[in-house]
Amino acid sequence: MKKWTTLTLFILLGVLLLAACGSPAEAPANTTTNQPAAEEPAEEPMAEPTEEPMAEPTEEPMEEPAAEEPTEEPMAEPTEEPMEEPAAEMRTDNLEGETITFYHFGDLSGPYAAITGPLVFGMEDAVAAINENGGIRGATIEVQFADTGGSVDEAVAAYDRFTGADDNAMIMITYGSGEVEALASRFAEDKIVNLSAGLSAVGFYGPDSGYTFGLGPIYPDQFGYFLDYVTANWDTIKPATAGDEVKLAYLSWPGAFGQGALTDETRAYAESLGVEIVAEETYDLSPTADTTTAILNAQAAGANVIWTNSLAFGPAALMNGLGALGLQQDFILGGCNWAMDLATYAFVSDPALAAGLISPFPYLWWNDADHPGIQYAQSLFTANERTAGAQNVGYLLLVAGVDLAVKAIEQAIDTVGFDNLTGEAIYDALTTMGPVEPLDGVVRMDYSDGVRAPRFSQLRQIQGGPDAFNVLQDWTEMPDLRPVFDN
Amino acid sequence: MAVLRPAGDFDTSYEQDMSVIRKRWQWVALLLFLAALFALPAYAPEPAVSLVNRIGIAIIAVQGLNILTGYTGQISLGQAAFMTVGAYISALLVGQAGWSFFLALPVAGLGAGLVGLLFGLPSLRVKGFYLVMATLSAQFIIPWLTRNTFPNLLNGAQGMNVPVPVIKLPVIANTCFLGTTFDPETAVCLYRFATPNEFIYITLVVLIISTVVALNISRSRLGRAFISVRDNDLAAELLGVNLFAYKLRAFFIAAVYAGVAGAMLAHNLRHVNSQTVGLIDSILFMGMLVVGGLGSNLGPIFGATLVTLLEELATVLTPILITLMPDIAGGATAALRPLIFGLALMLFLIFEPRGLAYRWTLIKAAWRLRPYAR
Amino acid sequence: MNWQLLPQFAITGLLNGGPIALIALGIVLIFKSSEIFNFAHGQMLLIGAMTTWWFSADEGLGLPLWTAVLLALAVSILLGLLIERLTLRPMTGQPLLSIILMTLALGQFLQGLTILTFGTTQRNFPVIFSITDPYRITLPFTYNDNPIIVILKQNLVWSFVVAMVCVIVLALFFQYTRTGLSMRATAEDHETAQSVGIRINRVFGISWAIAGIIAAIGGVLIATASGLDLSLSIVVLAAFPAVLLGGLESIPGAVLGGLIIGLAQGLVGLPNNNFFMGPEVAQAIRNSTEIVPYVILLIVLVIRPDGLFGQKRIERI
Repeated sequence: MKKWTTLTLFILLGVLLLAACGSPAEAPANTTTNQPAAEEPAEEPMAEPTEEPMAEPTEEPMEEPAAEEPTEEPMAEPTEEPMEEPAAEMRTDNLEGETITFYHFGDLSGPYAAITGPLVFGMEDAVAAINENGGIRGATIEVQFADTGGSVDEAVAAYDRFTGADDNAMIMITYGSGEVEALASRFAEDKIVNLSAGLSAVGFYGPDSGYTFGLGPIYPDQFGYFLDYVTANWDTIKPATAGDEVKLAYLSWPGAFGQGALTDETRAYAESLGVEIVAEETYDLSPTADTTTAILNAQAAGANVIWTNSLAFGPAALMNGLGALGLQQDFILGGCNWAMDLATYAFVSDPALAAGLISPFPYLWWNDADHPGIQYAQSLFTANERTAGAQNVGYLLLVAGVDLAVKAIEQAIDTVGFDNLTGEAIYDALTTMGPVEPLDGVVRMDYSDGVRAPRFSQLRQIQGGPDAFNVLQDWTEMPDLRPVFDN
Repeated sequence: MAVLRPAGDFDTSYEQDMSVIRKRWQWVALLLFLAALFALPAYAPEPAVSLVNRIGIAIIAVQGLNILTGYTGQISLGQAAFMTVGAYISALLVGQAGWSFFLALPVAGLGAGLVGLLFGLPSLRVKGFYLVMATLSAQFIIPWLTRNTFPNLLNGAQGMNVPVPVIKLPVIANTCFLGTTFDPETAVCLYRFATPNEFIYITLVVLIISTVVALNISRSRLGRAFISVRDNDLAAELLGVNLFAYKLRAFFIAAVYAGVAGAMLAHNLRHVNSQTVGLIDSILFMGMLVVGGLGSNLGPIFGATLVTLLEELATVLTPILITLMPDIAGGATAALRPLIFGLALMLFLIFEPRGLAYRWTLIKAAWRLRPYAR
Repeated sequence: MNWQLLPQFAITGLLNGGPIALIALGIVLIFKSSEIFNFAHGQMLLIGAMTTWWFSADEGLGLPLWTAVLLALAVSILLGLLIERLTLRPMTGQPLLSIILMTLALGQFLQGLTILTFGTTQRNFPVIFSITDPYRITLPFTYNDNPIIVILKQNLVWSFVVAMVCVIVLALFFQYTRTGLSMRATAEDHETAQSVGIRINRVFGISWAIAGIIAAIGGVLIATASGLDLSLSIVVLAAFPAVLLGGLESIPGAVLGGLIIGLAQGLVGLPNNNFFMGPEVAQAIRNSTEIVPYVILLIVLVIRPDGLFGQKRIERI
């Protein structure tokens, strides 16, 4: 059996290639701190000098590109010194000729396209406006986008493409819960700040995450906030057919986003408020979904309140279904912040069906026209001649999100200097800057003390025609229903 | 396989007659090629390595399909469903039970294989088109099961995050060998296959093993029985080939390959849910197999590479298309992918139904016969 | 079980089965004449609905709806003929796998083409039937002394009616017209048909053209019921099992298969939290509309592999 021995031999050879070199055990042990993300393999298997900057992006500015041999202790101290010392000298307001790249990727061709489109437009218009007004201290922002079609596969491929082409990628903007959950550990490992419109509790607080920050409150908080309001005001708002008990039906899409508000914490919280969750139904993530079965079952189970974690055609399908069954008056319909949006109107067969929806509303709205932040967003929108359909929550939120990113980057440059600007520096800026109000308070966040998503919101209700998103409850702190993970 | 050889090139021993790689220079060429692959991270940019990873995983899935469809003639549109099974098994074993990935990988393959057996059962009664529909039903039922059963374990439609494969080695003489680094928390040497540059070693090693296994299945009694089932099932049965047993074996092997590929995909993406791979992937795998060449061991390699590169081409062409037709913007990639794949597959079906592998043998023959090319 | 909802779910299910039956019919039609299973039928559906939308919408030509439908039908006929001539005629005599893959590839190609032409945005399909004003039927019996009212969306009822009219027209066409008879003859045996002077290629062309018409009508029906976007092409996945359920070659079988699938999809909504196997199982069953067709298919394949009305052509192994 000669061929077998040779075959085994060459498989062994392959394995041996893996084992190109050994590294001393103590060396990294000295320097490794307790940061969970600091366990990057310091040595690449092939020990190729070209790869070093990738394994340790933080020290890239220090590396001589032509270094022949990899340093034996790549994680040694130098990371800290240069960050503080040159900072004072390097503080400069003139970074002309420099560029900072914002990477973003999202679903422009799959099921979430309706909501991602305006988000992407908002991001790109806001960046273009900042560049026209001198950029970040003179540095131009470059934008790179990839379409994921809603698939986690594609999101990971896009991430690999971006990080592979840029050793010092420091900030990425994402739009989908699924993508954020899958990539959260990579962001933390590679120390890339991720500002996300996909408000996934797992993505922000899950094990191994940490570099992902939400532009809006997590869905469990939103759900709890809604329940607070409903139980506190039940006597005045309850449907005519309902009894004294709040009985909730969770009718939503399947998937990370659709089921995002239903966690152990929110179940316990609902129970503590005396709210019984009597039905949990899903319907298809498609504009053609039929919701009548789900609604009739909810009704049969005695529900009088519906919560949906969906957007655009998601709440619209429920509204259409309720309308078709003539049950609109029998339920209080609540939804996550995305549900109360103009995108929903594109799919509601009659705008009157949308009236009554109650949602947490963690930002101001286009009709707050005397607010300077809204005026700024409006001017961008008009200047770029976007179609009316794009003037929704996504556009607004991303104009604010870019403002937040710029604020954080400016603070990071002030602290460590442009040459030492890394994802880690932006992370430090975000977590130490305290309460911020991007766009003069269109959104409000505070990323101190391990909080990675806004905790304040208003509550609004659709009262009348499109765009009549009226305030039911002004900015209040939401219940804290952050999930607890074992890790 | 009647391979044309230059004049005077004879087998002089039994080993030489049986060997896959006959000449020393061929061994050298193969080893050089493999060495070049293993050294990829040293000279190729990371996105390229990531692409090779994806191609490698696709090849493994298509190799399994080749055994089922190419050799045994049973058409299956369920390969992606069995990948889902493998992905979930491995995600659970590594993520929840704390197994090593390298132990979970074969178990994931076996688990997927058993599920494959189950969906192979209808092949007892039906064949041809009806069997296609039976395998198609796996494509719906299995993802549905992951979404709707054992919500505490499988986490429903959200799916779960999957840990990075890790090798742990003890510290020997105060030194970490084999490129690992010391992990102060657990006091062992670690190697994490996190980035594409690291994961590529898993992909290549598994790919080599899977290729060798596929090659030897096709050359053994098993493979010849498969071929006889494909070519004429009645004759095969008369010759003593137990049709049902061999069809089930083919289903099993195909699903094992799918399970292994699925587990690797899950750990490469670090995430799995019921939509990680779907019907469209099953169609893609079938397309890869036909483009590469049915019933040839080179087929899956050629096919998976070409089709994945075509998908990549769609990404590259997207900006160009957007400049040409600004209106389409968001849909550009979504339009180009199915367009290019569908067109390529149709052209292959009409003009080269035997696939790239056949074209390759023609090229080799022409080279050997030069200057008297056909 | 929510017994009081049984009539509601059963009737909605049956009505939903109408369009499914129509789609299944389009697939059976082609299989009958040319033994090709058309996996691209969903994309033909999509293109039919999209072109109707384009002809009628303000962003497109802005024609009246009925003109738009007629024009879309013309486009679909042309599409059917083109598909037959360009992609499937070269495949004559090829093995099953090649033909299956050809229609799968065709489906992908058409999907890409549709996105390229119409983009990925969801479209508001013209509303033909009122959505807010459903029919309410009070049944002549009660459950626990409560009257049972069945609420039916208008478009659901009318889609069903249109689908059934199409089915009857087709049945008459096959029974009484010369072309219809020649198609049935071709389905019986290609060579015999040719020997009595039927031009097989012409018959193939006609069946694809008719399939195009059926697909376009089906697409429009579904789009009126629930809006229009790319996911419309996925609707056929529920019709594939219907085709096999009825038997690959049987027109009444396809219709019955479609109705059974619709009914089953409606009835899985019944189990409530008092379900005897527990609320979790009940919830899983309620969420099973997309797999019910395939579960039924698996059962039928094992018990009666040639379907309810199919010809016993399957070779038992």
